[in-house]
Amino acid sequence: MVRISKRFLALFVAVGALAGALVVAPAQTRMPQMKFTDRTLPNGMRVLSAPDSSSPTVAIQVWYHVGSKDDPQSRSGFAHLFEHIMFKSTKNMKSEMMDRLTEDVGGFNNAFTADDVTVYFEVVPSNYLETLLWAEADRLSGLNVDDPNFKSERDVVKEEFRQGVLAPPYGRFEYLLQQKSFAEHPYKRPGIGSIEDLDAASLKDVQEFHTTYYRPDNATLVVVGDFDPKQLDAWVDKYFAPIAKPNRPLPRVQVKEPERKAEMRFTEYGRNDLPAVGLTYLTPRQADADSDALRVADAILSAGESSRLYNSLVYQQQLAAEVNSAAEMREDASLFVLTAILSEGKKPEDAEKSLLAEIRKLQDAPVSAAELEKAKNQIITDQLRQRETSNGKALALGEAAVLLGDPARVNTDLARLQAVTAADIQRVMKKYFADTNRMVLHYLPEASKPAEKKVGEGK
Amino acid sequence: MRTMKHLSLLFVLLSLSFVGNVTRAQTPQATPPPPAPPRSGTFPKPVEETLPNGLRVIVVQRSETPLVSAQLLIKNGGEVDPPELAGLADMTAGLLTKGTQTRDATRIAQEVESLGGSLDSVARWDSSFANVSVMSSKIAPAMEILADVVRRPTFKSEEVERLRQQYLDNFTLYLGEPGSIARFVAARVVFGDSPYGHPLAGTAESLTRITAADITKLHSRYYRPDNAILVIGGDITAKDGIALATKYFGDWQKPSTPLPEISAAKETAASKTGRIVVIDKPDAGQAAVYLARSGINRKDPDYFRGIVSNSVLSGYSGRLNQEIRIKRGLSYGAGSSLDARRDVGPFVASAQTKNESGAVVADLLLSEIARLSSAPPADPELTPRKAVLIGGFSRNLETAGGLVGQVGSLALHGMSLDEINRYINNVQAITTADVQKFAGTRLDAKTSNIIIVGNAKAFLPELQKKYPNVEVIPVSELDLNTALLRKKQQAGQ
Repeated sequence: MVRISKRFLALFVAVGALAGALVVAPAQTRMPQMKFTDRTLPNGMRVLSAPDSSSPTVAIQVWYHVGSKDDPQSRSGFAHLFEHIMFKSTKNMKSEMMDRLTEDVGGFNNAFTADDVTVYFEVVPSNYLETLLWAEADRLSGLNVDDPNFKSERDVVKEEFRQGVLAPPYGRFEYLLQQKSFAEHPYKRPGIGSIEDLDAASLKDVQEFHTTYYRPDNATLVVVGDFDPKQLDAWVDKYFAPIAKPNRPLPRVQVKEPERKAEMRFTEYGRNDLPAVGLTYLTPRQADADSDALRVADAILSAGESSRLYNSLVYQQQLAAEVNSAAEMREDASLFVLTAILSEGKKPEDAEKSLLAEIRKLQDAPVSAAELEKAKNQIITDQLRQRETSNGKALALGEAAVLLGDPARVNTDLARLQAVTAADIQRVMKKYFADTNRMVLHYLPEASKPAEKKVGEGK
Repeated sequence: MRTMKHLSLLFVLLSLSFVGNVTRAQTPQATPPPPAPPRSGTFPKPVEETLPNGLRVIVVQRSETPLVSAQLLIKNGGEVDPPELAGLADMTAGLLTKGTQTRDATRIAQEVESLGGSLDSVARWDSSFANVSVMSSKIAPAMEILADVVRRPTFKSEEVERLRQQYLDNFTLYLGEPGSIARFVAARVVFGDSPYGHPLAGTAESLTRITAADITKLHSRYYRPDNAILVIGGDITAKDGIALATKYFGDWQKPSTPLPEISAAKETAASKTGRIVVIDKPDAGQAAVYLARSGINRKDPDYFRGIVSNSVLSGYSGRLNQEIRIKRGLSYGAGSSLDARRDVGPFVASAQTKNESGAVVADLLLSEIARLSSAPPADPELTPRKAVLIGGFSRNLETAGGLVGQVGSLALHGMSLDEINRYINNVQAITTADVQKFAGTRLDAKTSNIIIVGNAKAFLPELQKKYPNVEVIPVSELDLNTALLRKKQQAGQ
């Protein structure tokens, strides 16, 4: 899952590339199984809960199965803008009341919008659980936003666009990587949107989007932490069960991203001083059986300083200042992304060649048993770190349920991962990393642009 | 483990204030249900022992997740960099994992990562550290590697060159971003040429001057058991932790030379009028607006007044974000930090905004700082801001890494580890008058500095109307090696 944006700053650490769930570790490590309850209300809302009283707090999340891919026509960035609006006036809450119910009592709230889902979450002292269930039910029931509040929050999102895309030297590079990687699927519109499309959005769009997608049969409530299960059930029945399920069908993106037939190459210029190179390969949807092998391949390529990309491009050849890979899983079609920011004085062509050489090596020979074991250990440790907190556990549970379609995978994915063999990795590298399935982006400093193409500064 | 009574008290107080704020007599569905009685929580209790060689070992157990984090802290960092060698302490720390007497860089990474672990080493202000984090079943081999890199690094010249180039590349990357330029400039404006003034990871010029001999010298002077603290946190017992520490660090020889002196905390420099500095970066996609001034040291008696005052300003519903983001939509986020160091550290308030609103955001930062003493927060505002601090503190202690960080910080400043159990009460005790006093005496707006990095032509005319003394420095002429901030002009220019 690729998380595009958050409601506020970097309060939330994304661990998207390693999403999934692992519960039985190799060697002597005991991995706690997550015992959870799974129920579906008559109105279609799914409720997952896992009690854990190790600290007197509780995490509440609502996953809506709607994301940036569902942005309306000419409204790129809308699902994310909408996520911000959900913190304004709702049926019975005035603007920012969610902050009063969380932050003011020593908890916190936030939300993120990804390509496929929008997730709202709170962590509060556990005696506030009922209060927050009421509040989440209230904003699912209806919004009540006025125009000044809408416009002011839209300005905030435009600043988020500037802060994420325009101000950082490689913000636009990442934006372009996604945009140029999809030909047909709405994933080609990065979730942060554009200033023009955000300006075009209206309050009417907000109401329509809420009516269309914010309904109980499109929502999954996840509660992890300090609570009494019977009490939770009663509160859920009281606050969520009365919300009616609409009769209308729920629209789903039907577009299939076509196979790539030939390598695509792009050169773009930005305000970066060091050139960057990015490669993407189209890979199958997150629920595909090959995802596990792709995740292990990702760890072998770029997890830590002993990884193949770091060791080759940064350490041995000193071609790159930074190098990375990511198995970016999405519900309909995924990307395997490799990027390098070059070291001073190095050529993008050489970095590209070296990235391709590392892919070739994984295609030509199986990884050693030790390297495979290392990658699995790294993924397991990352999973453990994610699950140190109730909020992290709830994220793992929500992702298994909503994006993999089975919450039990929170406990069974480790077995899947342990089963990945060296031959599996070699097989997926051959299957998906063909030359014809590649998009190449060179992102060069504006100063290196041929003179006649230069755009006037500071329009 | 020890029960924290204060925690339950806290939740009672918060519950009351909350009910008072929002309960309205309407239909049940239209108002939030009130909170249930609160439950109390517990904080783990650290256990410590000082080894005969002077190494202080602290173990803090929290076994919910099978992870252990171990941090070897050295009580000095970037503040000991010689002025012309900015970045020396950080490069020294960075090189620890790049080769020892028995392992080269590749092998160190290979071995740690085979355990599923990660090993980082960096310098900060007042400390340097190496940190390893692994599944608890792998802590013994991880600890052996941690000891090896701290005690026996070799600083081979090829590794020095490699890391130097990486640092130079990173410096170039920092200079592409308005926010990081503003941070560098703010440090120079507040601290001038004194130790906290330089970039922690050096400048293009200072990095070029650093030699392997400088690095070896810094390591032998400061990396010694009687200048170090080992904090182990997570799924491990005190007995096992201390046994591991003794096994891998017990024979680390303490040198016969005396310990380097740690400078005593200095008083804030005499106040003067604040500077308004603009770094003109015409291609900036947004302007970074910073208010910066000297703050407090960690042992300042005003510490809790300070952090509560900062919490009134900072955080999502803090005053800065209320005024700049929530009311006016001028930024994705505004906030502040009070960084209490061994010596007086900085107070910084900041926001990024479109270039056109640079001046108005600067005004808002200044007026909010001034308003903290002219209109201090009464209880209905203050109580929630204290709750934010306490909630964040408690949550931080829920992870092995957070525990190690909190305990390590207290130990570094020579403070009692029991402070963990006093934190909540100390925060709760702060009153409106305390905040007003702190804001009035320690955060005076008139002596605060403003730094804006962005496309100057979009905001300079408006800024100059209010502040005729704006200093404008084109980014191409910016020199972070000196408090003057400007490259020396050639004669005749």
